[in-house]
Amino acid sequence: MKNWPWAILAPAILFVLIGIFSPWIMTHDPAAQDYGALLQGPSAANWLGTDYLGRDLFSRIVGGARTSLIAMVVVLVAALAMGVVIGSFAGYVGGKTELVLISVIDIALALPSLVIALALMGVFSGENFTWMSDYWKMIVALTLAWWANYARMSRAVVVAELQQPYIEAARVMGASHIWIFTRHILPHVLGLVVVYASADAGALVLAIATLSFLGLGVAPPTPEWGQMLVDGMSYIEENPALVIIPGLALTAVVVSFNLLGEAFALQKVPRAVRGRFLARKRAARAAEETARNEVQA
Amino acid sequence: MQRMFMRRVGLALLLMLAATALTFWLVTAAPGNVAALIAERAAGAGADGAMIARIADELGLNDPLPVRYARWLGDALTGDFGISLRTGKPMAEEFAERIPMTLALLSGGGVLVLVLSLAMGIAGAVSNGGVADRVLHGLALVGASTPNFFVAAMLVIVFSVWLGWVPTFGVSGLSSWLLPWTTIALFPASVLARVVRVNLQDSMSRPFATTGFAKGLTRRAVLMREALPNIAIPYMTTFGAQFTLMIIGAIVVERVFGLNGVGAFFIEAIRFRDFIGMQAVLTLFVVFFVSVNLLFDLLAMLADPRLRRPRKA
Repeated sequence: MKNWPWAILAPAILFVLIGIFSPWIMTHDPAAQDYGALLQGPSAANWLGTDYLGRDLFSRIVGGARTSLIAMVVVLVAALAMGVVIGSFAGYVGGKTELVLISVIDIALALPSLVIALALMGVFSGENFTWMSDYWKMIVALTLAWWANYARMSRAVVVAELQQPYIEAARVMGASHIWIFTRHILPHVLGLVVVYASADAGALVLAIATLSFLGLGVAPPTPEWGQMLVDGMSYIEENPALVIIPGLALTAVVVSFNLLGEAFALQKVPRAVRGRFLARKRAARAAEETARNEVQA
Repeated sequence: MQRMFMRRVGLALLLMLAATALTFWLVTAAPGNVAALIAERAAGAGADGAMIARIADELGLNDPLPVRYARWLGDALTGDFGISLRTGKPMAEEFAERIPMTLALLSGGGVLVLVLSLAMGIAGAVSNGGVADRVLHGLALVGASTPNFFVAAMLVIVFSVWLGWVPTFGVSGLSSWLLPWTTIALFPASVLARVVRVNLQDSMSRPFATTGFAKGLTRRAVLMREALPNIAIPYMTTFGAQFTLMIIGAIVVERVFGLNGVGAFFIEAIRFRDFIGMQAVLTLFVVFFVSVNLLFDLLAMLADPRLRRPRKA
């Protein structure tokens, strides 16, 4: 990993840190309008200038990081949980239940995730869903659009793992289904799917921004980069910074996450992380071995 | 072989049926009372219960869902997708106006993807570890990560606002297509350029490449004559997948450049709660997505006999 472009991780790390600490980093209220200072360039008071309502661009960028970060983490965790539960249940139970669940997964994969998320945003605009805020509608829509891939992967891992002799051995020894599943199968499923999910972080940040760009995600005045960009498009001649700065921030974060995800997926994990990753695996294997020895004794 | 083909086609049809049934259920049943929505559009706030009930009755909204789906499917198969709640025009008419626009966007973009990805991938492999290879690798990475709406915005800023070479908005002649095509092609071209590059590298370490070298061919000759035909199958498969994903590109690009295509209609339908329009566009997307995937699957099977063998249990 000597030649690995470490610097490229900076945007992802900054994104997470800024997202967590945004209330303390903002210099202004990101929603506060100032009609005395519309479309200003950078100054001491407004570090990156102001937008068409006189809102401070720097504070909106900082606030946007938090908006995306929270949505991304929630969607990733929820979609992962949903996918792992449904997929591994299908794989473990087998039979007709499996067939039905696979069909559902295949249908969910019959359209690109973003198109499904868009369609769900449309469905959620109906009168039966007024109890959800736009922000949560977006999170639910993205989760429902994202789980199927993880479910398919989880099922494949479970089916492959069930054919291993040690599962049969465990069963012969009288282990319950719950024990076999949580002790032997789930760790394998999580090991693979979590790696893939981490590679999806960039794609999710992008999806959130795209939905908001299309006016179907985060609604103003909540700051969000995609929505800031589309707002700035109308003032592209007066102040192109309103478009360029959110766009660059978004691109830098996505490039960074994608590189990280690729490194994870190729198991070319940076050494600092890899050390701990392997240590945990080794510890797990050691624990497994002692357990096996105890059983034999 | 023929049986495998028929099986694939049958499965694809089944998938289309199931997917449209699911979207039908979601879009027409879940959001609430469509009849109330129509009454509200027609009579404003003056819509009363009797009027809503009459509209629901006329549209057959009181029938059980399977009956309604069967009726919708029967109409859809004859090309009748209902009347858009937003524009008040039959969806068939909307499609006739808008599909050519989206197809022009997708096909022009597709050609550009083909040219760009092959050029970038092959140039990278020729330079193999040199400056050009590394620069192209970086470009492909950034291209595969940049939001397409940002690409569109930057193209507009540079070529329309600063240089004034092409119009910002709408379609007027070939030059106005350049920015939309570039925008929609950049992401898939970047992904495919890496597929070309990686697979070429892989092919160059195969025995047939060694044979080529032993025959005294130059590296370039081995690359172009021996390795290049071998990437056809992975390239085709990825191209198919990326081509279908260009639907998303089309939605964004049509919106940014003000093109009156299906994608722009879809977004407007969602915003105006035009559930009939949404269902029609989703059906179109499902058919496009499933049949393009099927086409590329079958092409791969035609090209590679290994894929034709029935899988062992």
